[in-house]
Amino acid sequence: MLRYTLLRILGAIPTLLLVIAIAFMMVHAAPGGPFDDDRALPPAIEENIKRYYHLDEPLPKQFLRYLSGLVRGDLGPSYVHVDYTVNELIADAFPRSLKIGALAMALALLAGLGAGTLAALRHDSWLDRVVMAISMTGISIPVFVFAPILVLLFAVKLNWLPAGWTSSSGVSRYLLPVVTLALPQIAYIARLTRASMIDVLQRDFIRTARAQGLGTMNVVWLHALKPAMLPVLSYMGPAIAAILTGSIVVEQIFGIGGLGHFFVNGALNRDYTVVLGIVVFYAALIVFLNLVVDILYGAIDPRVRYR
Amino acid sequence: MSLLEVDNVSIRYGDNTVVDDVSFSIDRGESVGLVGESGSGKSQTALSILGLLSRQARFSGRIRFDDVELDKATEEQLNRVRARRIGMVFQDPMQALNPYLRVGRQLRAVLRCHELATAAECDARVMEMLERVGLPDAQRQFRAYPHQLSGGMRQRVMLASALIAGPDLLIADEPTTALDVTVQAQILELLEEIRDDTALLLITHDLGIVAGHCERMLVLESGRLVESGPTTAVFAAPQHAHTRALLAAVPRIDRVDIPPPATGQSILGVDGASVSYRERGKQRLQAVKGVNMSLRCGETIAVVGESGSGKSSLVRAMLGLVPMESGRVVYAGTPLEGPVERRAREHRRDLQLVFQDPASALNPQMRVRNIVSEPLLVHEPGLSARARLKRVNAALEQVGLADEYLLRYPHELSGGQAQRVAIARALILGPKVLFCDEAVAALDVSVRQQVLDLLQRVQADTGLSIIFISHDLAVVRSISHRVLVLYMGRLLEVADNAALFSHPRHPYTSALIDAVPVPDPVVAPKKAPLRGEVPSLLNPPPGCVFHPRCEHAREVCSATLPPMRDIAGTRVACHRADEIDLSR
Amino acid sequence: MKELRLILFAVLLAFAAVACSCSSDRSEDEGSVLHRGIGTEPESLDPQKARTTQAGDVLRDIGEGLVGYSATGELVPAAAEEWTVSDDGRTYTFSLRPEARWSNGDPVVAGDFVFAWRRLVDPKTGAFYAQFLADVANAEQIIEGEEPPHALGVEAVDDRTLVMRLERPAPYILSLLTYPSTFPVHPGSVAQHGDSFARAGNLLSNGAYVLEQWTPGSALSIRRNEHYWNNGETAIDTVKYHVIVQNTAEVNRYRAGELHITSNVPPDMFQQLKQQYPDELRIAPTLGVYFYGFNLSKPPFKDNPGLRQALSMAIDRDMLAEKIVGRGELAAYSWVPPYVQNYEPPVFSFATLTQEQRNTIARRLFAEAGYGPDNPLRFELRYNTNDTNRRIAVAIQSMWREVLDVETTLVNEEFQVLIANVRAAEITQVFRSSWIGDYDDANTFLSILQSGASSNSPGYASDKFDSLMKQAAEQPDLERRRWFLEEAEREMLADHPVIPLYFWVSKHLVSQEVSGWGDNVLDYHYSQHLSLSATR
Repeated sequence: MLRYTLLRILGAIPTLLLVIAIAFMMVHAAPGGPFDDDRALPPAIEENIKRYYHLDEPLPKQFLRYLSGLVRGDLGPSYVHVDYTVNELIADAFPRSLKIGALAMALALLAGLGAGTLAALRHDSWLDRVVMAISMTGISIPVFVFAPILVLLFAVKLNWLPAGWTSSSGVSRYLLPVVTLALPQIAYIARLTRASMIDVLQRDFIRTARAQGLGTMNVVWLHALKPAMLPVLSYMGPAIAAILTGSIVVEQIFGIGGLGHFFVNGALNRDYTVVLGIVVFYAALIVFLNLVVDILYGAIDPRVRYR
Repeated sequence: MSLLEVDNVSIRYGDNTVVDDVSFSIDRGESVGLVGESGSGKSQTALSILGLLSRQARFSGRIRFDDVELDKATEEQLNRVRARRIGMVFQDPMQALNPYLRVGRQLRAVLRCHELATAAECDARVMEMLERVGLPDAQRQFRAYPHQLSGGMRQRVMLASALIAGPDLLIADEPTTALDVTVQAQILELLEEIRDDTALLLITHDLGIVAGHCERMLVLESGRLVESGPTTAVFAAPQHAHTRALLAAVPRIDRVDIPPPATGQSILGVDGASVSYRERGKQRLQAVKGVNMSLRCGETIAVVGESGSGKSSLVRAMLGLVPMESGRVVYAGTPLEGPVERRAREHRRDLQLVFQDPASALNPQMRVRNIVSEPLLVHEPGLSARARLKRVNAALEQVGLADEYLLRYPHELSGGQAQRVAIARALILGPKVLFCDEAVAALDVSVRQQVLDLLQRVQADTGLSIIFISHDLAVVRSISHRVLVLYMGRLLEVADNAALFSHPRHPYTSALIDAVPVPDPVVAPKKAPLRGEVPSLLNPPPGCVFHPRCEHAREVCSATLPPMRDIAGTRVACHRADEIDLSR
Repeated sequence: MKELRLILFAVLLAFAAVACSCSSDRSEDEGSVLHRGIGTEPESLDPQKARTTQAGDVLRDIGEGLVGYSATGELVPAAAEEWTVSDDGRTYTFSLRPEARWSNGDPVVAGDFVFAWRRLVDPKTGAFYAQFLADVANAEQIIEGEEPPHALGVEAVDDRTLVMRLERPAPYILSLLTYPSTFPVHPGSVAQHGDSFARAGNLLSNGAYVLEQWTPGSALSIRRNEHYWNNGETAIDTVKYHVIVQNTAEVNRYRAGELHITSNVPPDMFQQLKQQYPDELRIAPTLGVYFYGFNLSKPPFKDNPGLRQALSMAIDRDMLAEKIVGRGELAAYSWVPPYVQNYEPPVFSFATLTQEQRNTIARRLFAEAGYGPDNPLRFELRYNTNDTNRRIAVAIQSMWREVLDVETTLVNEEFQVLIANVRAAEITQVFRSSWIGDYDDANTFLSILQSGASSNSPGYASDKFDSLMKQAAEQPDLERRRWFLEEAEREMLADHPVIPLYFWVSKHLVSQEVSGWGDNVLDYHYSQHLSLSATR
């Protein structure tokens, strides 16, 4: 197991390098630079700034410089937020994004598994159709459409929840962003669970469990849930990526200064180091989380384990 | 008052009636056999007792169990009956047990959900049950996952789970069909021992099992109960035509016309064949070791063995489907070498193979006509379409299928018809040697005989040589000229048909023969001839591989490998072959 | 069973942990708190490095220059108590307030200003607004790197006296000195903290408030500076600036009662908000012009004033301002907005005509330029992606088609891309742009059209215009200067290098709990002038 993990981590390094290289090229390929504005800089100053940030060097040299900084764990200074380094920005923003993302993921799993199981148990009934229809809307309606609707309803009209992240410091400010982020995933996981659960419920060992008089709840909880979860587990990898990207919209709407916010603004402002830093960070995160998912898969399915 | 009363039960799926007005009863402690061919409705009847039918089933009738009206019971009430008062064992334990949970957990769940034990006592009781069903190392098996156990052990676990709550009635749906014959004998014996006064409803298609283990029997045909009565009476004087047909079709070891030994030259020879597998990072698995054999023209050799015996591996190696580690195969004087893709075309044409399950062997998207003509496209591409069609028709005629089957799809054929199509496909090129890997195992008893007859007919007409793999000794008895007995990849005995069954030389052969249930209620079932299970192929016993389970074993057997000797025309690998007498 | 229960428990624990986790965003809720939306986040609170208006808003609260503005937009003394100007208008002598203090108690001395200004023009700092001090002696040479920063024409005679020498009389220089780029910094703080001196906890303030906390991407809060010389007049204890990029999200927060003041109002909600919050919606003209520029370095617009005029005339500006944009903006018939102080802009010759008349003349000019049905005119109109921009572009495209039968291809680009293209001046033909004035004087608009000016996006180069501007710059007398500036603008308008369309308005939602809010053309709203009627 340890050897497997180490091998996976080692194998991820070339992937990460490739990601960084591609991101680097793309970011520099976009027209415009971090210091462009309506108001043009005096040429002497512009030259000076470029020299200070090594932006006047040929691209390969800049790339190597970036990599050597990366190896030392230094992601560079931000070109726009000149008072902060990229490391500081990420260190500040990530825990926020993490909390919201993790909560959203947990909510998505719980609600999705629950709804999907319910639909599977009553499949082809009206309840099943209702759950599936709701989940379909959850998948089809984009975040930036229903998030403002939720805000209008719960914050403006009913005043139950804060409309923005910075307006309160308690639990209530997590609710809307977490739910918004989780909704499309709930829908997707519900559908996956339903299909998988229906399939599992047909299997022979479920018939055995029923013949043992375990009752539906026990049958589902003890016997059906673990195998039914396997496709959901496989989906976790892309789901995590989706939450990371979905967080961009949510952060804009609720004014949360998380990684998504800095990522988008960094791209728009051509803040190369911020964008690259977050790309590296996200890539490493996704690789790591996929590894965790694989290990979890083995935890559930013992036949995979004894390879 | 009887324990279980089934009155006028009918089960329909849409327009299809699978169980038609069936009524019977079971008394306390009684053992009743429910017999029928596939599709006769036996399983459906059993499932309906416990309310386990699928949602599309339309049920009518009445089922009374003790004081509970099962057909009108709510799910709650049914759950109180299930496992606690009626236990059920299913056919394939690999599918019937949850592969994701440890064995102990699954059994514990039964106790806990019915609140029959506290958390503290639970494990002890489960362990006790596992020991009762004969698991050799209950501690380890408690924590094992189903895929880590052998087939026999899994079925024991199933039995344990069905009986652990102490039910009054045990329903066993084909409990031994998926098992080797020696293991089957053990499980049937276990069943007798362990059920005490629990009533038993044993569902099976094997009349031998019914004869040996059921006091009464019920016969179903196409959903209707056509005969019922004490087993001895039914066997002695069957009333219904279907029962008579069934009894007649049962292959028997003791009373059968066997083909005379074949003469003629050897057409296929195997010399010291060994096959082993090795997965990356794992141990080497020796599937076949040092097997010698020769096949004559027009002869049928049966290769007999249980799971792990290497029969399939041997055949695949001969056909070039898996690499042979050492040894050679010689066909018509020329050695056959290399994987099948690189062999000469004539060799590929002359050696053909028929599989066990026709449903998976035929491409479901191709019509019969295309399936059967496919080999022609490869080996005789010059043929015109019309010529091809003629050949296809001839092949179908050979296997006894009329023209109308040309355009059918595999799913529109019955098991027997599908297997005939597979045989037609194998025969269309006029091969010299036909390999049959459990070709009739998946077929109903009556159909089986027809296919065997067909094979014999073709052999008589064309001089086809057949290598017939089977675990079913009764089938082997009826069609083979000579028999090879394999155990753990080693050849134990080679004998003529008559000699093998009347005077087996190897203790294993003898045990195999004894393990087959005799379809005669008058004959008491023999004690299970073998204890234990086939050891792991990764760790074969030293010396004679069979010695740990052999009741005739001596010291020499564990020390040295027994050489192959010839005794009265039989080749046998046993140190004590000339000392022990196994004739019957 | 056990594992699943464990998982549930873990999840609940996690929820509880999150719920109880005291986030670091909590601010001291003693006293009055004003919640303001700031829109985009200030990129830096280093006075010399900051460049956005948002940074300027916050900096004006936490810092103070020599002069400042009152709530109604009048220039008033700030860090400087009084000043004198020499007769030739080239030497200013400032007397600093003796009671001015930094937030750590240190007195604010003239040396702090000298340090800051040298820092501003020092090329190493990389300041965007180094140009603000361009009129100070030697400033341009220092910026070019030809002179060292301490050659700048500013001197601390003693702790209280600051002398500034200019290259040329620049009567508007005082309004430049309200700009945060010229604010002082505490030299000791910079020496101690280096690049991170502009952070909460490090940043020393000589203004009404001190930076208390800054969570990048979320919010920053500033707290009353007890050492501020005018602290007694400051009513509000804490101001929290919320970073909310999306206009609609900001309005929702306002409606939910979470903000007192918004930084903007989304265009499509304008009418609705006007009806719902008539007293809270504050619209005021501001120093900005929305215009279309021509790429004068390439055909068809190079050397073709008649064509340019035709295109300019064919646009119905009134309709545009009223209907298409419709938030109280003023149609632009000049380049400099008419409410700039001490200035009356000349207007286009066609300003008094009806649109019909303009169209006729436009057609004639168009034909004279050699275009017509057998020589159709086609060009690209570029704008940065934005709903309002698109609507205006579409409207103008149809106006041009109707009146002149011109085929305009609309190209929308991301802001950065458009900027890059405009600067390169290779592929652009007509492009959308805007210019915000930095101080209340016509020069801030006219100076960018001087040849060689870095923000001269059309590439306008007129000797006559340049000469008039130069002469204006050398006039110490305000009236005479004004005459030259107006002449310059008249000259430029006749050349039609740009098509001014309308003048900007500032739009805010201001809660009725807030008093002291004064509309002014600079859109400056110092928090120290505001007060809350009820404590939330």
